[in-house]
Amino acid sequence: MIALKDIEKYYASKGVKSYILRHVSTVINQGEFVSIMGPSGAGKSTLLNIIGMLEEPTYGEYKFMDEDVISLSERKRIELYRNHIGFVFQAYHLIDEMTVAENIEAPLLYKKVGGSERKSRVADMLDRFNMVGKKDLFPSQLSGGQQQLVGIARALAAQPSIILADEPTGNLQSAQALQIMELFKKLNKEDGITIIQVTHSEVNAAYGSRILHLLDGVIKEDVRL
Amino acid sequence: MFKLNLKIALRNLWKNGGITSINVGGLAIALAAFILVMMYVTYETTFDKGNPNYDNIYIVGRTMPEFKTNYTPPPLGKAIKQNFPEVMAVGTLKKGGFEFAISSDANTAFASNYLMVDYEAAKMLQLLPNEELAKPANEEGILFFLAKESMMTLFPKKKDDKPELVTLGSKAAGQTAEVKGTISVNKHSNVTFDALSVRKELGKNENYGYNNYNTYIQVKSGTDIAALEQKINTLYKNELIKDGQDVSTDRYKQTTIFLDPLKNQHLKPMAGNNAAYKVLIALSVLAMLILLIACINFTNLSIAQATKRAKEVGVKKVLGVYRYQLTFQFLTEILMQCVVATILGLLIAELLMPKFNALFNVSLSIWSANNALLYQLPLILLAITFIAGIYPAMVLSGFKPSLVLKGNFQTSRNTYWLRNSLLIVQFSVAVIFITSLLIISTQLKYMRTQDVGFNANQVVYIKNIMMFSDPRVFEPVRQKIMRIPGIKSVTVATGIPDGSENGSNGYTVNGVEASIDFLDVDFDYFETLDIKLADGRFFNKAFKTDTANSAIINESAAAKYGLTDPIGKTIRGCSMDYKIVGVVKDFKAQGFETPVQPTLYSIKNPCGNAKTQLMLKIDQDQMSEAIATLKAQWPDINKMDGDNFRYYFLNDLYGKLFQKQEQLQSVFFAAALLTIFIATLGLFAFAKYMTNNRMKEIAVRKVLGASDVQILKLLNSSFFAMVIIANCISWPLAYVLTKKWLETFAYRIDIPVLPFLISAAVTILLTVLTVSIQAAKAVKANPVNALKYE
Ligand SMILES: Nc1ncnc2c1ncn2[C@@H]1O[C@H](COP(=O)(O)OP(=O)(O)OP(=O)(O)O)[C@@H](O)[C@H]1O
Ligand SMILES: [Mg+2]
Repeated sequence: MIALKDIEKYYASKGVKSYILRHVSTVINQGEFVSIMGPSGAGKSTLLNIIGMLEEPTYGEYKFMDEDVISLSERKRIELYRNHIGFVFQAYHLIDEMTVAENIEAPLLYKKVGGSERKSRVADMLDRFNMVGKKDLFPSQLSGGQQQLVGIARALAAQPSIILADEPTGNLQSAQALQIMELFKKLNKEDGITIIQVTHSEVNAAYGSRILHLLDGVIKEDVRL
Repeated sequence: MFKLNLKIALRNLWKNGGITSINVGGLAIALAAFILVMMYVTYETTFDKGNPNYDNIYIVGRTMPEFKTNYTPPPLGKAIKQNFPEVMAVGTLKKGGFEFAISSDANTAFASNYLMVDYEAAKMLQLLPNEELAKPANEEGILFFLAKESMMTLFPKKKDDKPELVTLGSKAAGQTAEVKGTISVNKHSNVTFDALSVRKELGKNENYGYNNYNTYIQVKSGTDIAALEQKINTLYKNELIKDGQDVSTDRYKQTTIFLDPLKNQHLKPMAGNNAAYKVLIALSVLAMLILLIACINFTNLSIAQATKRAKEVGVKKVLGVYRYQLTFQFLTEILMQCVVATILGLLIAELLMPKFNALFNVSLSIWSANNALLYQLPLILLAITFIAGIYPAMVLSGFKPSLVLKGNFQTSRNTYWLRNSLLIVQFSVAVIFITSLLIISTQLKYMRTQDVGFNANQVVYIKNIMMFSDPRVFEPVRQKIMRIPGIKSVTVATGIPDGSENGSNGYTVNGVEASIDFLDVDFDYFETLDIKLADGRFFNKAFKTDTANSAIINESAAAKYGLTDPIGKTIRGCSMDYKIVGVVKDFKAQGFETPVQPTLYSIKNPCGNAKTQLMLKIDQDQMSEAIATLKAQWPDINKMDGDNFRYYFLNDLYGKLFQKQEQLQSVFFAAALLTIFIATLGLFAFAKYMTNNRMKEIAVRKVLGASDVQILKLLNSSFFAMVIIANCISWPLAYVLTKKWLETFAYRIDIPVLPFLISAAVTILLTVLTVSIQAAKAVKANPVNALKYE
């Protein structure tokens, strides 16, 4: 599904190139649950952003579902966002001015999903995440864990084939974190959704099927569990 | 999706309610000013526009060596009509020149603007009475019409359209005339009148020497005007020779014909000045500046709020929203606010309309039909939405999700320069307005307090058309008036010092010839006006020669001829040899804009007009009784024109000279107030936003031990710097602008320093105050609260 070949990323400041990623090559297949680990500053977020097409590599080849991403037009990329990729963020990034239900509904609107279909999918998500009672609350009225659940619900509502999550449990207590990890595992197993997450926690990583160890922009280890 | 965006927009506006209402309110006020000015501009630029031949009507004028004039002789029009087929119609007009009374049995009305036209002019210029205008049957036939108001005064009970009989002028003279009907006067036209007579032909027996008519021509569409102008010029010269006029003079050789379009007559006629046009442009610029400032508020605040919206943009982008959709969303939000502002602006404009109408002496109304606002307003709405919204919309929609979603995103650095520059522009404009206002006020105060060289207080001017050129005719009138208690002196002259211009003529002293002004007066003229004597004496009945050949000149005239000892010298002009008996100090009869003209005052003057203007000096304590007595006795005192006693105070008439400047002062006062208000509103909201944004920073600093004063200083410093920069930018601009304006006065102040200092003080004070009010909240807040979040 994802094929990276010789991805390089550097920032040049005052003529000095500081490399963030060097010679990153890997293939991630449909249905994998990959955790990216490594010390702070290793380039984990950068790699995930490149995979999510939020950043462009300086060099290298990147194929997403056999399409060359580097030469992709904005229109095509947005199509991929709408239909295939779901993002989950460490800081949740719910839209403050939207209620829980509206946040979940938003991607469906952009995908131009019909009204009744939208309603049923939102209701379905609320049900699944035990949020029915909270659907008219605003994000600021929820706890962190609840917000992250909404974030995941929002990502899932569009029925993506892959979820990219940057430290999804970074702001949460371990109990809540485990709940999220259980959820990811279930989504991966039952719905066949590919998941790539960045995490600092060995425990979280253990939920996945594969770990990429990143150090100073280089993949040091690629462990299959 | 639109519905959701709308919901978000409303929730956002609601959450930032304070800032939103400041934004919208400021824009509404600016829009109100803009709407008023635009209505005025539309009104002023569309005089006669209703005329179906608007683009094809021209007035024929003459360029003389010293000036241009719209006065032409009546035969010229006829010659044009005969010779040039491209001229479809020629209309001739003549102004009545003096005010006269029109009386019915019941009442009296006054025609001060009587107009005579021929039938073709009435047709061409749409001077149409309420019923069909019939062509006068014969050469002598005169159709006389009155404006509705006069007709109502004369015949209050009149319902029909039947002609009525009236008396013209003094009842004693007993000249009757038939009023054919009423005519509605179009105030929005260059040709106005309160009484109109239509004839088949005007100026029938008058030759090319009678240059006191106006000639309008209507040409076929597509006529080459420059060529026609040339042809008429040639025709005019040939006709003058045929007519037997003296064509050997330079005056004749240098006189040419011009054609001036009807559409330019109101604002920038060739014969006349374009001051009104300049005022209009200045007003438009002011209004646009004010609107621009309000738009800047918008832009500034929208960008300031960008940080809040950045996350929304980032999230939406990764959910699959196109950039153009986001741009559109933000523009729609701004459009919504602009719509509200426009509606509010219309309401405010409606409230201010009476004041505005009074100031500019117009009667505009927002709700009148076929109002140009109907299409102007939506255009303005789109324009301000675009100006105020396009930049923030571009900035906001351009955020990169990878940067925004990292969490610690700050927009301020990217837009720092822009926002500060915009604030500086706002304050610069405000400083220019304050400084200009103060300088205008200083000049006006100077004009009001400066000694003008004569005293208009307690001087009453009486309207009269009876000619008192001969002092012997006037003497009995004077004696009757002087018998009334409280009257100190009485005089009559060809003009009064209310800014009106005198005649001018060539006079020679010691072989030096110069063109100077002249004014014909009677005894007691200088005494009535309290004019100071510099040398010699005033006119005095004791000197028999004073009614024959004595003259008094002013100091400027003495200087012009280089006379050090003028008394006894002979000054020659108008086939007279005058002996100079006195020199008076210069007095500003024409106001402050033109310098005092060298002038000769005489009792006898064969070249002068008739003396009709009566002036009385009356003791202040007996003023009302004296005027009441005058009114009662007037028919007896002034036998020939005594039916109607009408008087004015000379200081009111002289004060009218300041009207234009007072108008300007009012406009600048409003503009300065508005810009300061709007800019302060913007600053207030902006400071509020900035402080809110820096809450955490402030909390951290406090925890680190910063004192309240240090924090206040910190928050104020950048704003303070901006105001200083704004002042530095505006001072030279304000200096140049006001200097230019002051140069239109012959008598003016030197540009004072104080206004510059005051505007600096005002803007600095306002800024510090506004920012500190906001900052104080942050300073007072407990740092724990600010640090708890995140
Ligand atoms: N715009 C930028 N310019 C220069 N250097 C950058 C920029 N963005 C990121 N970096 C650098 O890239 C390196 C990798 O950043 P990245 O965010 O990928 O780290 P990370 O592995 O996610 O760390 P963490 O675990 O702390 O989130 C860091 O050293 C950072 O300083
Ligand atoms: Mg990271």
